[in-house]
Amino acid sequence: MMNAIASSDLRRRYGRTAAVDGLNLSVPLGSIYAFLGPNGAGKTTTIKMLLNLLRPTSGSSEVLGTPSQRLGPAEFTRIGYVSENQQMPEWMTLRQLIAFCRPLYPTWNDPLCHKLVSSFELPLDIPLRHLSRGMRMKAALLVALAYRPKLLVMDEPFTGLDALVRDEVISGMLEVTEQEQWTVFISSHDIDEVERLADWVGILDGGHMYLSESAAALQARFRRMEAVTVDPARLPARPPKSWLAPDVTPHRFTVVETEYVGGASEQRVADAIAGAEQIAAAEMTLREIFLALARTFRIRP
Amino acid sequence: MLPFDVKFKPGAPAYEQVVYAVKKAVITGALKPGDPFPSVRALSQELRINPNTVQKAVATLCEESLLRVRPGIGTVVAELGPASRADKAALLRDEVERLVVEARKLHLDSADIIEAVREHWARLASDQPAYDERYRVK
Repeated sequence: MMNAIASSDLRRRYGRTAAVDGLNLSVPLGSIYAFLGPNGAGKTTTIKMLLNLLRPTSGSSEVLGTPSQRLGPAEFTRIGYVSENQQMPEWMTLRQLIAFCRPLYPTWNDPLCHKLVSSFELPLDIPLRHLSRGMRMKAALLVALAYRPKLLVMDEPFTGLDALVRDEVISGMLEVTEQEQWTVFISSHDIDEVERLADWVGILDGGHMYLSESAAALQARFRRMEAVTVDPARLPARPPKSWLAPDVTPHRFTVVETEYVGGASEQRVADAIAGAEQIAAAEMTLREIFLALARTFRIRP
Repeated sequence: MLPFDVKFKPGAPAYEQVVYAVKKAVITGALKPGDPFPSVRALSQELRINPNTVQKAVATLCEESLLRVRPGIGTVVAELGPASRADKAALLRDEVERLVVEARKLHLDSADIIEAVREHWARLASDQPAYDERYRVK
């Protein structure tokens, strides 16, 4: 088993609308996978089908080697799930919630649980309904982490959290990383939230994967190329296929090269743009890559 | 708290920025030979970055002999060996190249860069706060 999550031609229709439209997803074991896409792209529908909370119209998926539709209590002791609209017994206090969850998970880890209670600064004896949104999210994450799941699935965990709480949530999540082959799958509509966290990136658009690649591979093939031109630059009639968003101002040429090869890509600029000088290639962050793709293909970031 | 500071800037890869921050801490003495170096998990939590990114930075620093893994103890800041001047200068080749390229883009000449380097050198050596004397409120 190489993938923590795999799906094949997964579909879900609501009436005539396809919310998820032939999704082929592979999440490698041990990765922190950012599942990105605008609101309405189908992220939550996908996650619900993966975790057997929603039946697909067609297609199949597997989570930790078990077909999604056969996931049951035994499998859920190895999967943690935290969502934006987490359902929790609001009348319970955190102490009661912990006592309730603890016997359900053979791998429940008391020292880790105590550590998270104190690092999250959560009150143990106040009913959950009286806690803020951020505190409830931390409580949900706490009971999902304390049994050291092999796979943590988080659906838009940062929505509505202030930066401080978001940082606490990320630190708490990383608390479990000592484990070998620990996989995290985070959906988000905002690349900023996961930029330095993710080592795999998937972009969902219109119900199917637009892209799914390791961050290292993406950053190896994307470069922002710049050149200075003596005469006002003109774009070629047929720019190379690997170029995104070529742009000229009177004496400056910029383009996003999506298939960078050192030397060859610089030469390509020199060949295509008359009088190009000082051709330089700069590495791009995941955020810059995401924004360049979003602008070109009208994926709403 | 970490014994060094990383302020992430967009552009450069995160692991390079961590490597740079550690090098700077070693050079300025904020990290001293023998000092324990934080674990991968502690660093990734503190900086909130992918543990693999931290692992890569630590591996690079070990390769460059700035850190050393001591079995049973953990990672510590290494004694800087008696590397030759040429070896040390070679470590900076990429940085110098980048500096020169950037300077040329900005149409600065070599005298401007040398002056800027001198200023920075003096600032670090005297441990002065990093702001220009001219802006000091009198």
